[in-house]
Amino acid sequence: MTEQIQDQISAFADDELSAEECEFLVRRMERDPGFRQKALSYATIGAALRGEILAPDPNVLRHRVQKELGVVPVPVRHGFGQTAVPRGFAWPALGFGIAATVAVVALLALSNLNRTTTQGEGLLASDVSVVPVAERANFVLPQEVSTDAQPAHQPLAAPIRLTNYLVTHGEYVQGFGRTSIHTDVVGNRGTFVVVSTGSEQD
Amino acid sequence: MRRGVSVGRLVSPALGLLAFQAFAQDAQTWLHRMTRAVEDLSYEGTFVHLIGGEAETLQIVHLNDNRRVSERIVSMDGIGREIIRHEDEVKFILPDRQIVLMEERRDVSPLVSALPSYSEDLQQHYDFSLLGTERVADRETQIVAIQPRDEFRYGYILWLDTETVMPLKSQLRDSQGSTIEQILFTRIQISDEIPLSALEPTIDADGFRVIRAPEAALTEEAVPQWRASRLPGGFKLSVATQNLMAGSEYPVEHLVYSDGLAIVSVFIENPNSEPELAAGFSRVGSSNAFSLSLNGRQVTAVGEVPMRTVETIATSLTAP
Repeated sequence: MTEQIQDQISAFADDELSAEECEFLVRRMERDPGFRQKALSYATIGAALRGEILAPDPNVLRHRVQKELGVVPVPVRHGFGQTAVPRGFAWPALGFGIAATVAVVALLALSNLNRTTTQGEGLLASDVSVVPVAERANFVLPQEVSTDAQPAHQPLAAPIRLTNYLVTHGEYVQGFGRTSIHTDVVGNRGTFVVVSTGSEQD
Repeated sequence: MRRGVSVGRLVSPALGLLAFQAFAQDAQTWLHRMTRAVEDLSYEGTFVHLIGGEAETLQIVHLNDNRRVSERIVSMDGIGREIIRHEDEVKFILPDRQIVLMEERRDVSPLVSALPSYSEDLQQHYDFSLLGTERVADRETQIVAIQPRDEFRYGYILWLDTETVMPLKSQLRDSQGSTIEQILFTRIQISDEIPLSALEPTIDADGFRVIRAPEAALTEEAVPQWRASRLPGGFKLSVATQNLMAGSEYPVEHLVYSDGLAIVSVFIENPNSEPELAAGFSRVGSSNAFSLSLNGRQVTAVGEVPMRTVETIATSLTAP
């Protein structure tokens, strides 16, 4: 990646580019997966090394693309009647114009970066779209709710039992492996999501 | 005595000699040293966790007080969950659900634990290599690569600080080489003077629902007899036990399988327990789980391994 492009990404994250330059950058993210990966890595690592990652919301690049699309962030509802934590955002169901389609694809692609490509691998918490109202009192809602790109099988937040298993499992893993497992459960997306069902063998 | 320095500070003059000696060791020796360093040193730091195109900042405090390890990991973004291993308990605070999950801490003896063994057997299933050196956060690191030979396990690329052998950066990769998650330390301080107060939760959990294991004695005859009849190459049974787990009225049978590096737990619920989990795959972060019902028992395999691994092991369980 050239230094000029790096500067452009940085300026994009800081909302310092012209409308034309923004459009160019977002279109390129849509077209070029390698560019998306590099852009995200550059923005995130750069922010981390500058200490900016310590800010409450490190998803600088992603949110800048959201802003470019004119998407109004909607706080996610959480269980137990808690005030929603302003980290995750929901896509509005209506209001998307055709013109934004290309950039939407780019943003979705940003969401999908680093996702494993192994066949049969499931979806991440960020893909969870709908949790039935009746279940909201019992399950932690995932961090992001999307009304587009609905998966064929709606993954649902799984009961805390799985988290319980993972914490116990971590007790049998030492060193960096346990740190990694605890990072999974502590992380904001640290809620198991069911990604497919079946295989009853009674 | 404060032994370490923040990332980015100059290292001790002895580093050159130590690093030179260290370079002469092979990748598995580096891994063994890393495991010991992560457990034995006392440190606190900040790291970024990248997965699925998202980044999150977390803090870790790790204390080793006369071989008794305590640890606290807290998410600095959003919900702010915390997990604290201290004394005899593991406390997991979920402010988003107003729950405190209390589990019994298990300091598993290295003789019976699923600790990475780094034996020669591992080389049948992983390729180990040293990929040279690189600076991470202005520190010299040795890059160690672990490439799985099949699709039943993940690989790693680790950037190990040449002075402390702490992993300043890591990538978890699948067998195709795609990165699944990354962990990057932006600050780490190694010190013997980290106060116990650093383990205190920042969350006021007063009023939260506390879920803990019931008070009950485990009977010896209840040691699980279930076994997996079909295992990915290299996986062996490391632990067969039963646990009293938070929120469970009955003991849960627990098997641990490991190839020496990857570890999978299998939990077999008591037949009297109400099944909570739907059959199928679940995922959190880089950990996968597969649940199913076998002979009226809810069985779940979980681990930081590919989906096919947890599925293979769970579906091959046979009852006693």
